[in-house]
Amino acid sequence: MSLRRLGATFRVELAHTFRRPLFVILALVLLLSGWGLSTGHVQISSGDSSVGGTKAWITSEFAQTQMMTYIVLLYYAFFIAISAGLTLIRDRETKVDALLYSTPLTAGEYVWGRYLAITAGFVVLMAWQVLVNAFFNHVVPNAGANEIRGPFALGSYAIPVLTIGIPFLLFYAALSMYVGQRAQNGVLVFILPVAMLLVCGFFLWTWSPSWLDWRVNRLLQLLDPSGYRWLNEALLKVDRGVAYYNRAHVPYDMLFFVNRAVLLVIGLASVLLTQRSVARAKRGAVEARARNLRAVTAPETLSPWLEGAQDVASLRMSGGQPGFLRTVRAVAGAEMRELVRQKGLYIFIPLILLQALGNALVAVGAFDTPILLTPGITAVAIANQVSGWVCLLLLFYTVESLERERAADLAPILYATPIRTGALLTGKAVANAVVGGAVLVASLLACFLAVLVQHTVPFSIVPFLLVWGLLLVPTFLVWTTFVTAVYAAVGSRYAAYGIALAALIFTLFRAVLGQINWVFNWPLWGALRWSDLGFFETDRAALVWNRIGVLGLSVLFTVLAVRLFARRGHDAVQTMHRLAPGRLMGSALKLAPFAAVPAIACSVLLVQVHDGIGGGVAKKARKDYWAKNLKTWMNAPLPDIGRADIALKLDPARHWISSRGSLTLVNGADSVLARFPITGGDHWEHVTWTLNGKPYTPETTERLYVIQPPSPLAPGDSVAVGWSFDGRLPRGATRNGENTEEFILPSGVVLTGFTPSFMPVLGFMESVGETKENRTEPRRYPRDYWKGVTRAGFGATAWFPARISVTGPEAYTLNSVGVCTRNSVKDGWRTQVWETDHPVKILNVVCGRWQVKQGHGTTIYYSAAHPYNVAEMSQTLDAARRWYSEWFLPYPWKELKLSEFPALAGYAQGFGTNITFSENIGFLTRNETKTDATFLVTAHEAAHQWWGNILTPADGPNGDFLSEGAAHFSTMLLFEKVKGPAARMEFAKGIESRYNDRRRVDDERAMYDVDGKREADNTVLYDRGGWVFWMLYDHLGHDRALAGYRNFIQTWSVSRDHPALQDFVAAMRPYAQDPVAYDAFAQEWMEDKVVPEYRVTDATKRKVGDGFEVTATVRNIGTGVMPVEIAATAGERWVKRKGTGTSAPASTPNPGYHDARETITLAAGESRKVTLRCGFQPERVVVDPDVRVLQLRRKLAVATL
Amino acid sequence: MLSTRGLVKVYPGPVTALNGIDLDVAPGMFGLLGPNGAGKSTFMKILAGLLEPTSGAVTLDGSDTLSHPESLWPRLGYLPQEFGFYPHLSGQAMLAHLLELKGITAPQGMKKLVAELLERVNLTYAAKRAVKGYSGGMRQRLGIAQAIAGNPRLIIVDEPTAGLDPEERLRFYHLLSELAQDRIVILSTHIVEDVAVLCPRFAVIRAGRLLAVTTPGEARSAIAGSMYEGTVEVADLPRLRSERVVTQALLVEGKNRARLYEPSGSPPEGFAPVPVTLEDAYLVLMRLGSLPSRERAAGGTTLLQRGGGVPGAIAGSPGAGAER
Repeated sequence: MSLRRLGATFRVELAHTFRRPLFVILALVLLLSGWGLSTGHVQISSGDSSVGGTKAWITSEFAQTQMMTYIVLLYYAFFIAISAGLTLIRDRETKVDALLYSTPLTAGEYVWGRYLAITAGFVVLMAWQVLVNAFFNHVVPNAGANEIRGPFALGSYAIPVLTIGIPFLLFYAALSMYVGQRAQNGVLVFILPVAMLLVCGFFLWTWSPSWLDWRVNRLLQLLDPSGYRWLNEALLKVDRGVAYYNRAHVPYDMLFFVNRAVLLVIGLASVLLTQRSVARAKRGAVEARARNLRAVTAPETLSPWLEGAQDVASLRMSGGQPGFLRTVRAVAGAEMRELVRQKGLYIFIPLILLQALGNALVAVGAFDTPILLTPGITAVAIANQVSGWVCLLLLFYTVESLERERAADLAPILYATPIRTGALLTGKAVANAVVGGAVLVASLLACFLAVLVQHTVPFSIVPFLLVWGLLLVPTFLVWTTFVTAVYAAVGSRYAAYGIALAALIFTLFRAVLGQINWVFNWPLWGALRWSDLGFFETDRAALVWNRIGVLGLSVLFTVLAVRLFARRGHDAVQTMHRLAPGRLMGSALKLAPFAAVPAIACSVLLVQVHDGIGGGVAKKARKDYWAKNLKTWMNAPLPDIGRADIALKLDPARHWISSRGSLTLVNGADSVLARFPITGGDHWEHVTWTLNGKPYTPETTERLYVIQPPSPLAPGDSVAVGWSFDGRLPRGATRNGENTEEFILPSGVVLTGFTPSFMPVLGFMESVGETKENRTEPRRYPRDYWKGVTRAGFGATAWFPARISVTGPEAYTLNSVGVCTRNSVKDGWRTQVWETDHPVKILNVVCGRWQVKQGHGTTIYYSAAHPYNVAEMSQTLDAARRWYSEWFLPYPWKELKLSEFPALAGYAQGFGTNITFSENIGFLTRNETKTDATFLVTAHEAAHQWWGNILTPADGPNGDFLSEGAAHFSTMLLFEKVKGPAARMEFAKGIESRYNDRRRVDDERAMYDVDGKREADNTVLYDRGGWVFWMLYDHLGHDRALAGYRNFIQTWSVSRDHPALQDFVAAMRPYAQDPVAYDAFAQEWMEDKVVPEYRVTDATKRKVGDGFEVTATVRNIGTGVMPVEIAATAGERWVKRKGTGTSAPASTPNPGYHDARETITLAAGESRKVTLRCGFQPERVVVDPDVRVLQLRRKLAVATL
Repeated sequence: MLSTRGLVKVYPGPVTALNGIDLDVAPGMFGLLGPNGAGKSTFMKILAGLLEPTSGAVTLDGSDTLSHPESLWPRLGYLPQEFGFYPHLSGQAMLAHLLELKGITAPQGMKKLVAELLERVNLTYAAKRAVKGYSGGMRQRLGIAQAIAGNPRLIIVDEPTAGLDPEERLRFYHLLSELAQDRIVILSTHIVEDVAVLCPRFAVIRAGRLLAVTTPGEARSAIAGSMYEGTVEVADLPRLRSERVVTQALLVEGKNRARLYEPSGSPPEGFAPVPVTLEDAYLVLMRLGSLPSRERAAGGTTLLQRGGGVPGAIAGSPGAGAER
């Protein structure tokens, strides 16, 4: 190899690399994203989420490493593919290759020179990226990001470049070059980054179920070229604390280095293979040509015309301009023939099929329960991916198709034919639409399979036609025309790729950061919400205008593309003349009619979004409410509700509500109450008030109404406050199709007393108007805040009776709390009157067109479209009512209803007598043998009748444990009772796994201090809470515990005081056999935040007499002191379950299972040698075989013998 | 009639490729001769509506083809100097595709028409093979087939015989002659023989300017009796070049066989008069920038001369094809 020739090749290519538009565009993209990311949009999920708490630095080595793993795949992969993949193809197209082959330049010099130059170019870009990031992170001031910026350390930036960036570049540039050389086809080159993103983004980075074998997991880490899976699984998934991430170096291990070595080996092999391929081409070019020529050797005889038999005129040809459609057909036909030949589609289609299928099958809902897929849900669930993939492929296919004539030197002939430019471009677009169509068909097939394997929901193509056909096709049109217009304007394949990729990345960036709205969301990313009960009802107008705008843009881009497409080479002087202001203005005026439609659509959307519920007007109103009232009305004393009388008229077709009613308010405090605030809704119109039946005009500050009774209310005095209003709910469009928690829509109505949607809310609502900018640290309570009388965490402080009359269209059932005392129909309007047979603390209304399933004291109201889980839900509800009544307190109300509402909000809530479920919770939950998901969600929500309604927890830290944690605990009890211990254990392991994955070391506080305001609080409230209640129950014993629970709930349900966790702990203490041990338990698990983590080492077995003796060392590497069982086991414990639902027994013991146990207690860091004698041949040593102790990484607390 | 007026094309640089071309071309075969880089292809592209000139006008039968190239294309058959095809299509499919795009119809139907056209260019035997397997000559013939298809009013062929073997070249001559009977055929070439054989009229272009528009006969007669051939020692050639208009010098058996233009009728010793060829006329034109008037040379009419070649600047220049 001649270094001189290698150097010459290197220099020429490197110089070319720096001049490429692609290079400049990527440099700009890196600059902009460096600026965008400096505000902390990509952070490691660690740290203390409180205001001023220790945050994960974006400048740490960990953060930069994580960012590099994303960026190499999202940015570099595409740009490298174009540069390296096309470098040799470009030589062939420009016929330079033949010239180079005739020089002494060897294949090795040629390939290595190119490869090293391209890689060096990207290394320069990576250095630029580091420079830009460091500049924005450390030099440009940004007070808002100070807490996420650590001190500058060169290693934090340089090390990820060396460990993640450069190995990836070396690998990927080589692979792209090889694919380009082998395929001699640009499109296949572009399939590479798309396929890699697909495999990594949707599989390697995300797929890590709790049951995955660690060896498989490590293999997958080895395969990920970005390194993210390794980083995440080894170091990020289980939080190590923010101090570690901010200060420590990334501890690369052997697996990582092997992964890098694999990349380098593949890279080297790719270059060598490319070299061999080029060498063969060089050697074989002459031979191949000779072969071809031999194959097409002219016949010996001369053609007849030469002998004067015929002339050209005799052919009687006539020509003229071909028709538009004829041209389109001809162009499309030729393009299709090319498409069919290309391997890209055949590789990509199975990949997208697998990805769509996998993604559909792993969709989860509440409590991570799997979702039962319906066609509509599936169509929307993968719409984002489908549109993303199709847009990427359309980019590559469109540009390559437009470039085809130039690359083949056919352009001068083709462009001199009389075809219309529009027809030429349309023909190409039609052919490329086949690519989009193929992706859609593959995705459709995946969805069909996903729906089919459930054996539950029938397949229908209608939602796919609606979502993908009607809604996404305009996206594909606008993208294709945009790409065509860009290509026509810049006339360069590389510049077109650069600009289009930059546009796509920019859109993606804004979508990921939540900064996109209906105006600019041309791909509809994140904007579609599906309900089987009604299609796109919330934002239908915005959606239609968005599509009109997108179609209008397509027309504009088409016109631009046709005008700018250079069939004729432009003259520089004439072009300068055309750019003169006057002529430019003239051109703009000519385009104005085409720009009118998108401009009008955008303007309408701007107004809709601005005036909508997420727009500037609403935001300002909420902020003003917060700012003007916070200081005065926060924690203001409030009266109790003595009685509620409400009359609602709902018109779902118009999204309209009319509300009229009165609240009898009683001063339940010990002091005089002169005035009190009431919060109204922003959708309220024509608001009137009465006070004790007389018209009244309260003082109003931004929807906060101050009621001042004629005379101050003495303790026990009451006043009747009446209101009436009407309005539309939701009041306008959302920003980008977000969920709305409450709504009045043709598909259903859901209204709650938590917000002033159908009745006023007593007091100032602290959460309204709080944004990221004005967020304050939640109030810090002293640990003894619970002493004395504490207000309710939600709802009213005291029980009150209510009467609610709901009027709506005849076809609807109109449910509210209590029992229905009247159900009449007049003039097509149904009126149902609901009266409480036992007082309640909060009200709600839910309406729909339902079927009814009657149980024992329970009723399920469900959509005819979703009958699948109704029987299971009904049985669970019956069981819940029966057993919770027996365990905690007899159910005080006559009827327990559960009603379904559209999945435009994704929650379930349990109001007294009137539970509401979003359709994708319970009704569309997929039951699997391990999860019993329908049972889980129904049992949890039913438990809120007791934990939340009958007993309302305190307004303060840890109160929610007595709602959510207790509901999870109740679910565990019900699992054990109804489904048996195996089902309870599976559920317990499931929520333990959630806690493992979602807890954040720095953010987690002791249970006594958890107030639900921090990011990690949720899993502590639900999962840890449920577990701790279970362990407490286990500690006390069944009878004692339930006696304690009964007493606790009975005592506190009728109290004006509301219990905190401390009240619960105090209430249960008398039921403990060993109060000291009880106190120690409460101290560890509630006052402190311990979690044990066990490891089993040195596990051996030996034959002793007829049996075996097993010895093992068990160590608690976590925290806390808990008695825990250690077992030597053999065989599977439970008979494998067949089928799902209540009919399938979940916990049938396997007669072949044996175990021998011993209980030990290990403090943090303590280890003990355990000896177990077995009358059977043991197979493994298991810590906590009955799943009774919450712990970290349970899977590792086992040893195989 | 195809007319150009004041056609100027300046490429960024700036490089003036065409510098005010005025030309009228009547139906029939018309040749465009010139050395490489003279501006022929630029001129052809502009005529074909594929390149926008910096200034000037082009009309075909009175209609402005610069402002509305789309009005030209249905009447155009164009064979560019460099071209290719979709490599994976067969010759037959490729031609059918192009005929489709040209809106060409024939009573016998498209399939038969394609077969007959391929027969005209002697490609029947390779009709079903992928174009990527074609030789340069086969590709050229396929290009010719598409260019002559239909009933174009104007046919522009740019260096059409490049890559053709002598037999194919003859066939092509035959075809073009036939086509030129009732339409305008412009043949751009630097092969003088092509023009000599085919074109009753031709123009010579150099450095973006028209040097002459004439007929082969007139061009030859302008220098008739003034061409001499003889042998000179290698060492004497520079001196001869400085003193005479040497149009060709070829090294044969250690000596230079030179051909020179000597209008005075007194050639150097050892040089004898030879019959005049069109190539002689072309090379004299390249050397002198113009041909002598017939009155002066042979008492005939004055030749049409255009442009401003600078004889002194050319005399010392080897020029394209001037020396072999």
